[in-house]
Amino acid sequence: MIDLILMQALLAAVPILLASLGEILMERSGVVNIGLEGLMLLGAFSGPLFVDYLHYRLGAQLPDPLWPLAAFLAAALVGMAVGLVHGYISTYLAGDQIISGVAINLFAAGAVAYGIQAYWGVAGYKQVPDWAKADPLALAAFALVLAGFMWYVLFRSRLGIVIRACGEDPESAFNVGVDVNRVRLLATVIGSSLAALAGAYLSIAYLSVVTKEISAGRGFIALANVVFANWNPALAVAGAYIFGFFDALSYWLQTAGVARYEITRMIPYIATLLIVAGVIGRARPPRAVGKPFRRE
Amino acid sequence: MKIQTLSSLNIIAALALAFVIGAVLMWVSGYDPASSYYSMLVTPFSDRVYLLSALAFSAPIVLTGLTFALGLRTGLFNIGAEGQVYMGALGAVIAAYFARSLAALPLALAIGLALAVLWSAVPAVLKMWRGVNEVVSTIMMNWIAYWTVIMAVSTAFANPLQPEESVKTPEVARLTPLIPGTDFTVAVPVAYIVALLMYIFLKYSVWGYRISVSGLNPIAARSYGIKPERAVLAAFALGALTAGLAGVLQVVARPPSYSLMRNLANVYGIGFDGITAAMLGRGHPLGVVLASIFLGVMQEGARHMQIEAGTPFEFVRVVQGLIILLLAVQILRRP
Repeated sequence: MIDLILMQALLAAVPILLASLGEILMERSGVVNIGLEGLMLLGAFSGPLFVDYLHYRLGAQLPDPLWPLAAFLAAALVGMAVGLVHGYISTYLAGDQIISGVAINLFAAGAVAYGIQAYWGVAGYKQVPDWAKADPLALAAFALVLAGFMWYVLFRSRLGIVIRACGEDPESAFNVGVDVNRVRLLATVIGSSLAALAGAYLSIAYLSVVTKEISAGRGFIALANVVFANWNPALAVAGAYIFGFFDALSYWLQTAGVARYEITRMIPYIATLLIVAGVIGRARPPRAVGKPFRRE
Repeated sequence: MKIQTLSSLNIIAALALAFVIGAVLMWVSGYDPASSYYSMLVTPFSDRVYLLSALAFSAPIVLTGLTFALGLRTGLFNIGAEGQVYMGALGAVIAAYFARSLAALPLALAIGLALAVLWSAVPAVLKMWRGVNEVVSTIMMNWIAYWTVIMAVSTAFANPLQPEESVKTPEVARLTPLIPGTDFTVAVPVAYIVALLMYIFLKYSVWGYRISVSGLNPIAARSYGIKPERAVLAAFALGALTAGLAGVLQVVARPPSYSLMRNLANVYGIGFDGITAAMLGRGHPLGVVLASIFLGVMQEGARHMQIEAGTPFEFVRVVQGLIILLLAVQILRRP
């Protein structure tokens, strides 16, 4: 039984880990994106939408494993597009990054509810067909490898020094010839696509359904995890696993009939509050995060 | 606050551009933008009942808009209005359960506002003592409120006669329409008056001054002998009062059901609409009222849009997101 929960915890940790990794990359470069929740929603919606459309146009002409791959690709591209908008606002336009992030969340909540209705003609709930489903374990492996890779890039490579410099001291980075805004924009585009992938994982690998509230606060749990992990991809694995554990525990307690499902569903959010309250003291964000860079 | 540097011209440009992008999205997804916008923005003005209904929609948005605007002024991103609305509505339902007389009305206010303030105390205290980012904590509190209230209205406070609703406010305690045949109850003037009081409070009271100074510059505030922590606490608590009031009124002053839907349909999303209202209203209480009336018209219009043009109701929120996104761009434009 316990090994089942631990396995479930891993699967529940994947979206939180992917979104956290994306946010760490963005914030390390100096851009905060609280639109993770919206990006997840858009990814969860656009993946199945794209393969559904492709399936309709091509018929069953693609080899089976290519369908989920196409879904992930579509979600990543949508994430990149949104990341480009947010990144551009945050860098070249020197916009308010928090307001832009709030806007992404609001827009996504509306767009996905509207899109599900507009495309499938159902109110907020669409089953993902079997042929479009992916193996959640493959994504879990991908997320873990990515965490290691991102840790290596951020802390052991020249590129990592450049990215972190943009988030810590953009003035100095600029003085040694780094195009701060370009680095930030690229980090935001890639980071946002990871958050959208996290959403696609929810709909085509983990839950096999698209709903208008499929992300259910996981984007904000990922934001909390970034603080918990102290902006370190390796620690983010541990944090995501802890948050994933509470997510899995809530479903397990629900099926075990221990308490009403409304109570068990609260567990991840209560756990997040407690964890964040407990560890926040030692967390130190990148110094220039959230501040637009302007060369004077 | 930076918000105030926005010129009204910028806001109009953002609105216009948001509607243009919205039209493209609508066209791509196979709906008719012209007839949709017509029913969304023109139909509400074609009939007195529609217009009064739009004002009824605007009332709770004014109150949650004030919550967010007050947060902005204090330098906070308080996204907790949504959960506090749920708790306010729950308070009204609890009152209706225990009091089957006129006493249900004051009791609804007392319990609803107390629950909402309690809900905001958690992020406030976490922020002050542990430095927890209020964006994360208020969203977590929203979800905890969501499941708490759903559980409460499905169990103890369920209506045995109508399974999809909570117990109803007793008839004597209901705030019925001021103009028969409409949704226009005393909730509308109450919301506008609260906004006016908030304006006076922020502009002329000592605490209002403390809040504004703390938000503008916490370090300067300290040198004036103002404790920014207390301003944060005050902003959370006051914001919870208005959001809680919105929740109470959605139950006691909203025909025809005078109850809380089991899926929270009649309170869901009001907190998020408040964010849009506060942004559009430039964080100014009276601006929030104007913006909320605009959003109320859009919501009333969305009902007609769904019926007349077949365009899903949710499209309204797509436009709202676009408006805020464009405002984020505009805000930075320094003179």
